[in-house]
Amino acid sequence: MNSPLPADALRKRCDPAQFTFQTTAELTDLDAALGQGRAQGAIEFGVGMRREGYNLFAMGPEGIGRRTFVRRHLEAQANALPPPSDWCYVFNFKTPHKPRALRLPAGRAPAFRDHMARLVEELRAAVPAAFETDEYRNRRQQIEAEFGEHQEHVLGELSERARTQHIALIRTPTGFGFGPMSGDTVMEPEEYRKLPAAEQKRLEDLVTKLQEELERVLHDLPKWRRESTRKLRELNREVTRTAVNSTIDEVKAEYRALPAVQEYLAEVQEDMLENAEAFRASKEGEPVTMFGIPMARADAPEATLRRYVVNVLIEHTGAAGAPIVFEDNPSHDALVGRIEHIAQMGALMTDFTLIKAGALHRANGGYLVLDALKLLGQPFAWDALKRALRSNEIRTQSLGQALSLISTVSLDPEPIPLEVKVVLVGQRLLYYLLHAYDPEFAALFKVAVDFEEDMPRAPENDLLYARVVAALARKESLRPLERAAVARVIEQSSRDAGDAGKLSVSMQALVDLLREADYWAAQAGRAAISAPDVQRAVDTQVERLDRVRRRLLENMLRGNLLIDTAGERAGQVNGLAVAQLGGFAFGMPQRITARVRLGSGGVVDIERESELGGPIHSKGVLILSGYLAGRYALGRPLSLSASLVFEQSYGGIEGDSASSAELYALLSSLADAPVRQSLAVTGSVNQHGDVQAIGGVNEKIEGFFDLCKARGLASGQGVLVPQANVQHLMLREDVVAAVKEGKFAVYAVRTADEGIELLTGVPAAEIHARVEARLAQFAERARSFAAGAGGKPWQKAKKK
Amino acid sequence: MAKGEEEVRIARIIACFAPGSAGAPEAVARLAQELQAELLGLFIEDVELLRFAALPFAAEVGFPSASRRAMDLNALERQMRAQARALEDALAAVLGPAQAGWSFRVERTTPASAVEAALAEGMAPALLIPPGADPRAERRVLRRPELSDAALRALLRAVRPVLILPE
Repeated sequence: MNSPLPADALRKRCDPAQFTFQTTAELTDLDAALGQGRAQGAIEFGVGMRREGYNLFAMGPEGIGRRTFVRRHLEAQANALPPPSDWCYVFNFKTPHKPRALRLPAGRAPAFRDHMARLVEELRAAVPAAFETDEYRNRRQQIEAEFGEHQEHVLGELSERARTQHIALIRTPTGFGFGPMSGDTVMEPEEYRKLPAAEQKRLEDLVTKLQEELERVLHDLPKWRRESTRKLRELNREVTRTAVNSTIDEVKAEYRALPAVQEYLAEVQEDMLENAEAFRASKEGEPVTMFGIPMARADAPEATLRRYVVNVLIEHTGAAGAPIVFEDNPSHDALVGRIEHIAQMGALMTDFTLIKAGALHRANGGYLVLDALKLLGQPFAWDALKRALRSNEIRTQSLGQALSLISTVSLDPEPIPLEVKVVLVGQRLLYYLLHAYDPEFAALFKVAVDFEEDMPRAPENDLLYARVVAALARKESLRPLERAAVARVIEQSSRDAGDAGKLSVSMQALVDLLREADYWAAQAGRAAISAPDVQRAVDTQVERLDRVRRRLLENMLRGNLLIDTAGERAGQVNGLAVAQLGGFAFGMPQRITARVRLGSGGVVDIERESELGGPIHSKGVLILSGYLAGRYALGRPLSLSASLVFEQSYGGIEGDSASSAELYALLSSLADAPVRQSLAVTGSVNQHGDVQAIGGVNEKIEGFFDLCKARGLASGQGVLVPQANVQHLMLREDVVAAVKEGKFAVYAVRTADEGIELLTGVPAAEIHARVEARLAQFAERARSFAAGAGGKPWQKAKKK
Repeated sequence: MAKGEEEVRIARIIACFAPGSAGAPEAVARLAQELQAELLGLFIEDVELLRFAALPFAAEVGFPSASRRAMDLNALERQMRAQARALEDALAAVLGPAQAGWSFRVERTTPASAVEAALAEGMAPALLIPPGADPRAERRVLRRPELSDAALRALLRAVRPVLILPE
């Protein structure tokens, strides 16, 4: 029969004596991330690989420091790269609804914006001044006089011709008329009426002819007016050109080396000549209002001059390297930028100055780090990111436009070339799901940075871990830790890893533990964190979360949940389960019973029948049938009906860690061998009867220990665990102490035979013999029933 | 501002208004206020025009539309009365209806005769604003003896105010 494990095997201690320091204040920081060799290699490769599609997905559970790790590596790389170009949006004079993107060397965009603003300001003074000169005034008067003179001339000529025929040209309120003269004045109507009819007719015909001639003359006058206007416009253009050219040439000289800017400035120059009037209008003045409400006018001079504004989308003044952008809210607009609107008299208006940069703009030429879950949770953000990465350009479009939900005229800014390395940070499940269901994912995110959750526990790693603890304590402004405290932290890390041979690399859990230990050290008035402070932090963490565990324990102690920790009973075994609630895992014993009878139904899993058992649990039970059939019914039918149940279980059961306990209950029931209730069992079993490793072994042992301790520890109490789980044991100090004192025991078993012997105290061979005899008996009775009744009595008659 | 005008105080403004010429009564009234000058608004119903409109075949060619239409004397007189009323109201709105220092009258005569008569009423420097002229435009300066009948007719056709100084 197996011996219990020695106390030393139940908890792998970290010996403080191995450390040469007194407190962590003496230790230097550790820059490298613990146990992340593979992730480090992947990120170095991904960051260094400047090829399309080599974006990174940093995957692993929360709290292991993925973002910090990524940031540190990106910073190292980014500092060696040159800062990227600045980008501006400017007015597109050819296609106004497609603002033009202008690239400038890093840090020069703000200066360019200021130059353009100054240019406009200067022209607002220079252009009106040019129109105030005597030269301009005289030339304008000349043009206007030319038209006036022509008008006077043609009308005068006609008037003179009429006068020679004694007809006067008269100015009426809305035109001109001709009337016969009498002396120097228009003939009186009475005088006209006294004229002979022939004379009246002659005068009337004469007037009609002159009217026709006047019509022709007046008809030609608008052409002259147009010509005069054209000359005036040309004069205005000439005057404006002089003012604009002298001012804009200075700006052109400043950006001589930038052809795109030169091209833009040439267009600005031409446009300013066309819109000289805007510079001549007064800047101040009565604002236009409607019912007292200020009203913006689209055609106001200010609106015209707005087209010369430079919208600095992104600039890198003083930047030392490539940008690293962490976008915490990766919505569609936050990624690709947005086009804002302003309300004017109830209508929403926009222009190129209202284009705002997104994270892709800010990260262009560098790195963009995004949380994968947040990204996928934002409508259309993932699609927008993929589109940008695929096309290597950033196209700023509102969602309404992108989805064709709005059809009003809006802006379609020129796309900006994109060169960015995107790092998605997320859980492994997301990576695998994206890989499986998004065909573009693999092409765009070729580098997987897979973070480890734990690292091997070895003496050399203990010291490295101590340096990480030291660095975190300093970073968090905590008290230094005494070496014994460091040792306790290492042991807790191993417990968190669920493996005596591993250390957890969850930085979040470690930081929380250190902060809380520091709190307790402060409460105790200590200058350094001691081992009891760490222990108290661990205990209080549990205490804050274990209400449910205590409640269950109380129910067991009060007899509401029937769990025996003493005595013997056939067909009844204490199984062990683990519950995970709100990040806190705890173990609890669970009574498993088996009942057997004659039949041919095999093993009935009541949990499955009542739909409380999960598929893995059902699989475990089916394996038991395989074990029984293979072991006892090779040459005859298995005439057995057995039922298995987790007593007083009202929730779902999943996992196969209770399959060995179920097997023991079955064997005990078949062999009629009582099981010691002072023992609890965990471990899965295969069809050959080998006991296999399970998870949560520490919590399970402690769960049964707590119940036994509450009832008063007695010799003979203990837990059977799979031999393969011994390496995972990191039990609480009180459990280890009880084992050391012989009040509790942990047995490691390799096979079901070892387990049944421990539980029943009966040699396995005898158990098997009894089971075989029982099953033979069942088979014999089944045969006799079949012979007597012509069929199997327990089978329902088939309907004819 | 015309040369030598600084020393001259304009005591009187004669603002001429003609049928069909809108003029700028408010601007004229404000100028009178600023210069603290007496204002005479003179609406001239040109007798030549009325005589012409009374002819049986009277027609006008519109400017700049160049379209021909018949003249109606009654309609013209109605329009003149309405325009005169509107001009007087506009001056009163700025200067106050019962205030001294301004007057408005309607003269049915030739423009030259109407202005000549108005000028004869006083010898102080007067600013003559022809119909349709901008009252604040650059002024010409003339002395009374230079003001022949022909010169006066030419002045009234121009669109610039004229400062008429005594001898």
